[in-house]
Amino acid sequence: MLSRLVLVSANAAKNSSPLGAGLVQLSRLHTSPNSQAPVPPLPEKGGKTRHGIFPEELFQLLYPKTGVTGPYMLGAGLLTYFLSKEIYIINHETISAACMATVIIYSVKRFGPDVAAFADKLNEEKLQKAEEVKALAVASLAQAIEDEKKEQWGVEGQHLLFDAKRNNVAMLLETNWRERVHTVHNEVKKRLDYQIALQSLHRRMEQEHMVSWVEKNVVSSITPQQEKTSIAKCITDLKSLAKIQQAKATV
Amino acid sequence: MMLNFFDQFMSPVLLGIPLIALALLLPWILFPNPAARWINNRLITLQGWSISQTTHQLFTPLNQGGHKWATLLISLMIFLISLNLLGLLPYTFTPTTQLSLNMAFAVPLWLATVIVGLRNQPTIALGHLLPEGTPLPLIPVLIIIETISLFIRPLALGVRLTANLTAGHLLIQLIATAVFVLLPLMPTVAILTASVLFLLTLLEVAVAMIQAYVFILLLSLYLQENV
Repeated sequence: MLSRLVLVSANAAKNSSPLGAGLVQLSRLHTSPNSQAPVPPLPEKGGKTRHGIFPEELFQLLYPKTGVTGPYMLGAGLLTYFLSKEIYIINHETISAACMATVIIYSVKRFGPDVAAFADKLNEEKLQKAEEVKALAVASLAQAIEDEKKEQWGVEGQHLLFDAKRNNVAMLLETNWRERVHTVHNEVKKRLDYQIALQSLHRRMEQEHMVSWVEKNVVSSITPQQEKTSIAKCITDLKSLAKIQQAKATV
Repeated sequence: MMLNFFDQFMSPVLLGIPLIALALLLPWILFPNPAARWINNRLITLQGWSISQTTHQLFTPLNQGGHKWATLLISLMIFLISLNLLGLLPYTFTPTTQLSLNMAFAVPLWLATVIVGLRNQPTIALGHLLPEGTPLPLIPVLIIIETISLFIRPLALGVRLTANLTAGHLLIQLIATAVFVLLPLMPTVAILTASVLFLLTLLEVAVAMIQAYVFILLLSLYLQENV
C-alpha cells in the first residue's frame, strides 16, 4: 500500500496510468539457484485505487463499521483535525502544493492512457517478434509437410517411371545383344566361308594339277604307233559315219 | 516565527541526526528492479525503454572507451532527475540545492575525464587547448583562455545545477507567498499570480529534468574529448 502512495506521489510515476501505479513491485522470483518452478503470471491490472491514491482495501476495511461514507468522513475529520489544531498550517507551501497537484493530476489524466498504451505497445512488439519467429517456423514446417506429401504422391507414380525405364534399358540391352550376335554370326560365317573357299580352291588346284598331270602323262604316253593307229581308226570311223550319213540322206 | 526563505535549503536534521542520507537514499525505492520475466509490467517496461533511449542518445557519439562510463553516468542521471523532481513537492528537501553535493559530483568526474585524457592520449588532450584555425598571434592568449575554461568546467557544472534548482525553488516559494498574501486582499491579482505560479511550476518541472540531463551531457562531452 505504501508503495502505491510513494509511486503516485513521485513524478516518475506521473507518466503511468492510475492503474499502473499499483502493480507488483518486488517479487522474489527464481532467486535461489534450485528453483525450476514455473513463474506465476503477472496480474492483468494493478491494485484498485479510489481517486488514484487511496487503495480500495481501505474502503473495504471500513465498510462493515462505517458504511460507504466512512472513509470520506475519516478523511474530512482528519483534515479538520490537522487544520484546527494547527498541526498542518496553511502557508505558501500549500499554494505551491496545490499548483503542483494540479500539474500532476492534469498530466496523469491527459497523458496517462497514451503512455500506458505506449508501454503496452512495447510489450506487444516484443511478443510479436517472438510470435513471428514461431509463425515462420510453423509455416516452414507446414511447407515441409506439404512438400513431403507431394513427394510421397510422386513416389507412387514412380514405379511406372521405373518400369518404363526398365523396359527401355532391357530393350537397349536386347538390341545390343542382337547386334553383337549378328556380328558374331557374320564373323563366324566369314571365317567358315574362308575355310570353304580355301578348301574348294585346294580341291580345284589338286584337280587341275592332277588333270594336267594325267593329261601330260597320257599325252606323253601316247606312242607314235598308238597315235597312228588311233588316227587311222578315227579316219575309218569317220568314213563309215560318212557312209551312214550319206545313206540316211538318200533315204 | 519569522519566515526565512532559505530554511528550505538547510540540510535537514532531526534530533541531531542528519537526514540527508535518507534524502539521498529514499528515491531508490521508486525505481523497480527488472523482474525475472520476459514481459514485465508497464512501469518496468517504460523504465527500461527510457533508460535505453537515453543511453543510446548520449553514448552513440562516444567510442568504445567512453562506453565504459555508461553505467556511472546513466545511474547518476537517474539519481539527479529523481532528486530534482521529488524536490518540487511541498515540504521536501532537495539535496541537489546543496553546492557541496553538486561539486562532489562535478569535480571528481571532471577530473577523471581530464586524467583519462592525459594518461591515454596526452598530445590530443593538450591539443584541445588550442582550437583549430586560430591565427598565429592569438595562440598564447587563446591557450591561457582555454586553460581557464578547462578549470572552470567543474565549477560551472556544480554551480549550474545548484543555481538553477535553488533559484527555481526560491521563485516558487516567493510567488506562492505572494499568492498567499494577496488572496485575502486582492483575490483577482492573486488568481493572476497563481497562474504565473502554475506556469512557473511547469517550468520548474522541465528545468529539473533538463538540468540533470545537461549535467550528464556535458560530462559525456568532456569524456568524448578525452577518450
